[in-house]
Amino acid sequence: MMSMVVRQSARAFRVGLVWLGIFLIAMPMLWALLTSLKPKGDTLTFPVAIWPESFTFESYSTLLFDTMFVQLFLNSVVVAVGTTLLVLIVGTLGAYGLTRFKFRGAELGAATILFTYFLPSTIIVVPIYLTINQLGLSDTLTGLVLSYTTFALPFALWMLRLFFQTLPVEIEQAARVDGASRLGLFFEIVLPQALPGIIATSLFTFIIAYNEYLFSFIFINSDAKKTLPVGINFIVKTSYEIEWNIVMAASVLMTLPVLIVIVSCQRYLLSGFGVGNTKG
Amino acid sequence: MATVRLSTLKKVFGTNAPAVDVDELKIENGEFLTLLGPSGCGKSTLLRMLAGLETPTSGRIMFDERIVNELDPAERNIAMVFQNYALYPHMTVAENVGYPLKKRGVPKDERTARIAEIAALLKIDMLLDRKPRQLSGGQQQRVALGRAMIRNPAVYLFDEPLSNLDAALRSYMRNELIRLHAKLRGTMVFVTHDQVEAMTMSTRIAVMEAGCIQQLATPDEIYERPATKFVAGFVGTPAMNFIEAEVVPDGATARIKAGDFTLDVTQPDGMTAPLQGPLTLGIRPEHILLGQGTDKAEITVVESLGNEQIITIDTGRRELVLRSTSGEKHRIGEHVTYALRPDRLHFFAADTGRRIGPN
Repeated sequence: MMSMVVRQSARAFRVGLVWLGIFLIAMPMLWALLTSLKPKGDTLTFPVAIWPESFTFESYSTLLFDTMFVQLFLNSVVVAVGTTLLVLIVGTLGAYGLTRFKFRGAELGAATILFTYFLPSTIIVVPIYLTINQLGLSDTLTGLVLSYTTFALPFALWMLRLFFQTLPVEIEQAARVDGASRLGLFFEIVLPQALPGIIATSLFTFIIAYNEYLFSFIFINSDAKKTLPVGINFIVKTSYEIEWNIVMAASVLMTLPVLIVIVSCQRYLLSGFGVGNTKG
Repeated sequence: MATVRLSTLKKVFGTNAPAVDVDELKIENGEFLTLLGPSGCGKSTLLRMLAGLETPTSGRIMFDERIVNELDPAERNIAMVFQNYALYPHMTVAENVGYPLKKRGVPKDERTARIAEIAALLKIDMLLDRKPRQLSGGQQQRVALGRAMIRNPAVYLFDEPLSNLDAALRSYMRNELIRLHAKLRGTMVFVTHDQVEAMTMSTRIAVMEAGCIQQLATPDEIYERPATKFVAGFVGTPAMNFIEAEVVPDGATARIKAGDFTLDVTQPDGMTAPLQGPLTLGIRPEHILLGQGTDKAEITVVESLGNEQIITIDTGRRELVLRSTSGEKHRIGEHVTYALRPDRLHFFAADTGRRIGPN
């Protein structure tokens, strides 16, 4: 009897902890959403009113039609999608090579690659800036994509390599016996099996590139080429006062694409970390 | 369908002893040849060299009169069934079975027709739209077979394809494979460590140990006239009993002294030299007769299988395992007499383990 009481209260405690976690994470987002729906004057009040007295989409229309938000948003999407594609193309081929071909230094190479990921971006930002500059790519989105690739690729390579390692090699051998070429079996047999891992990696890369601040801040000078994380800041600073409803509306809109992608890929994300298929 | 010929084939990994070292092996057209041996004996490596998945260190592999050493797996026109079936998980059964044809540019209509034909033959026609993970082990096995059969390969290669199945299904699939071989008349090379599979399905068996073929012969011959002590001990359940003995020739007879018993046997015909000196005596469990002779022993273990009993007896110097099919139920602790059938003794050289006797 006693143990049941103990077990039930332990369970209640765990559930409580989970709700606390959810509250801590969701509350700021909810607040941002609610604030973005408030009229301009209602954002900072005392006592704090979380629930708006009246709802308005005024901040959204201001943001979309009177600021450069749409341009910045497109910049961010272009950079994030570009980085993701580049990382995927190089990453899948590279990771597959590291997994399936035996050559001197393969292990060391793989370890070194991961190590480069651990370097703080503040250390690599200057050398990369100089390099991008010499290539004539400073203040371009292409330069940003290349620089994001330098730190998104190592992690992607590592993650994809771990994923490829879980794929049974016999399936590829069967494909070779059945008449597939190396490249053919990579596209027809390996990639489809690695899809969950590839989706997880793409998401990760997309989010890194989409959220990145430091490189974007340093590399891009033209207002029209800024990405969202930097751009929101600059939308805000041009006004006399900080219009919190607009800042929050921007935050909400900026979160939306990531949210949509994650929700729609959740199934793959969950299976992306740690499943293979050897069992017959 | 093709004849396969290997000559002085060797595979060495790093600086180790050769994993495979085969002087000469000819697999006849339409033959079902089994490579039998314990794990690590090189049988799978040999098969993978036939497939082109492993490159020989030296030597030649020929399909009919063509040397295939340098050919990719795809160019050898072989079909292979793997232990884990290696089905393509993202393709349906029909796509799996049809994949080799697709890779050879066979038009879709023809492919569909062939898939239907093979599926009917293997009774997987109702599974064609399923994915491999929705199939049982036996069904996956059939799909893997179907994928192998669909394009009339020169050689079928099987890498322990039955070892993941449960006992009942394994016995059923053995039966099916025998039928298939009779129907297709294809050259098949089958790798297994299971002697029952080897004995039941093969035209010939190549017993391998440490990379070398110890004996290449029909199942009956392997069982009745094992070429080495290793083969004798590896094939047969329960395993052959081995007794270290000393033989003294005495005219037309040989007197075998084993400590606990002495046995006079006629010198086998056709020998260059009479049996003599230290050697290893081998006798199969069914050739030790209980209740006969004068040598005494005590029963220490009885394993009843219903129609027969596997009995371990202690002779005071050693334990011998025998098979009793008399129907009489023996019990542990029983004192019995036993005799070895003199006409069923095997002799192996004490040093090399090679069979002594006319060949």
